[in-house]
Amino acid sequence: MKKQTIRPYLTAFRIRALLETQYRGAALGGVITQAFFGLVLAYLYTALYAGGDPAGLRDTVTYVWLQQMFFRVLMTSDSELQNQIMTGSLAYTLCRPVDQHAYWVCRDLAAQWVGALMRMVPMIALQFILPLEVRMALPESPAAFLQFLLSLSLGVACVAQIHTVTSAITMKTLDSRGFSGMISLLMMILAGNIIPLTLFPETVQALLRYQPFAQALDAPIRMYQHAQGTAEFSISLAAQLAWLAVLTAGGRALWRQHLRSITVQGG
Amino acid sequence: MRYLYHAMRMQLKCAAQYRASFLMQSIAQCVMVGGDLLAVTVLMNRFRGLGHWSAEEILFFFGVMQLTFALCECFGRGISNFSYYIGGGEFDAMLLRPQPLLVQMIGNRLDARRLGGMLVGGAALAMACLRLRLHWTAGKALLLALASLGSFFLILGLFLIEATVSFFSVKSIEMVNVLTYGGRQACQYPVDIYPRPLRLLFTWVAPFALCMHLPVSVILDKPLMDVPIWQVYAAPLAGFAFFAVMALVWRRVGVTHYRSTGS
Repeated sequence: MKKQTIRPYLTAFRIRALLETQYRGAALGGVITQAFFGLVLAYLYTALYAGGDPAGLRDTVTYVWLQQMFFRVLMTSDSELQNQIMTGSLAYTLCRPVDQHAYWVCRDLAAQWVGALMRMVPMIALQFILPLEVRMALPESPAAFLQFLLSLSLGVACVAQIHTVTSAITMKTLDSRGFSGMISLLMMILAGNIIPLTLFPETVQALLRYQPFAQALDAPIRMYQHAQGTAEFSISLAAQLAWLAVLTAGGRALWRQHLRSITVQGG
Repeated sequence: MRYLYHAMRMQLKCAAQYRASFLMQSIAQCVMVGGDLLAVTVLMNRFRGLGHWSAEEILFFFGVMQLTFALCECFGRGISNFSYYIGGGEFDAMLLRPQPLLVQMIGNRLDARRLGGMLVGGAALAMACLRLRLHWTAGKALLLALASLGSFFLILGLFLIEATVSFFSVKSIEMVNVLTYGGRQACQYPVDIYPRPLRLLFTWVAPFALCMHLPVSVILDKPLMDVPIWQVYAAPLAGFAFFAVMALVWRRVGVTHYRSTGS
């Protein structure tokens, strides 16, 4: 009945990407906020390390800046789905002959990538005028950078899937604030945005590295800082792929189940 | 004053109608501030202190900041969410009522959910006190009260800047959040760990150092600045002054140029 092509998804991606470029004010606000937080944190860590471990400090400062640069990846806050559920216009979207889950994932991916790129350029430019001691470092080697890019694209996909799981649950509860607020906070902590995951005690490192939220930015940043050997690199990638598969399957299942019984609000 | 009391009681009654929701949201607030507490704990566990401050002293600073900030969010929600009054046209109604605008703004929105944040901040403060075995005197207690009160008004003043901006643009609030949330993030640590430009910013522009860090450092017997003791007691006045200036700016720049969004 339905002829499946990839075109509608590409279009959804493009439209959301174009929309994202219209929010220049929001992007500017984001850059100022992230730059201020990055600067304050960089100085805080300078004081914490107090000249004790220059290599460790450099790594931590770089970690902080990368987290701030890619903040948009974690928080796309696409309120469109929520709005559509609350106003009932979701009914029209449901009529479209596309796979709903994939459609919304494409939109989210567009917001994440374009939003992050828009914020990244000024943030990198900023690095050139910052005092030397709070600048971020370059990737350790070209290999490290390639590993970082590969892992980052998987990480962004993982976050998009986490978002669909969250929105599936809001679809059910219709309460956007309480639950998604908690998830955002969990994400900020467990993705390493509030403090680098590398600074947590050794005993919980293994646990922290392989939980789903760490796949987003923590895994790529570790590669950026230190190119990984084949064994370690494969384990990291396998963890990302595994979580991506689990989250996608879970998200799809939840969406299928919830869309079947969705109540269209409003009138 | 009676109006304020009355309005706030009504707000509390409203909140009490949705007990389960209220409880959930208070717990969410607890968890949020708890996340910050976790961050400080992890950092202190890793680094054992910050400059010449011990882990317990940092926890003390953290507690004072979080407690005060949660209080501000509780009482100052009408100011920090001022753009809703403008966007919704509710401000027009406020202009007509025979009550001072600021009193109305504070009275109309009391956010009791912030109790969760206050609890966590208070707990951090109490824990730090216990571990430090502070030698309390009446003077120190007075100093702590003054520091909280001064910082309370300082943060309300920062909220007022947001409110003033929202007269001109309802959308650019995100940018102004840097002042409040950035200030909280930066100044939950004593200001002397930062380089000169940030130190000057937080001493003379948004005077967290004068309102909060200087008195608290004296309570901890590690004075931040070498000044006579009466000046330490007077320093939190900077918060009141900041609030007064911002209220004036809000009034002169904002309210006088207000044009209704219409409906």
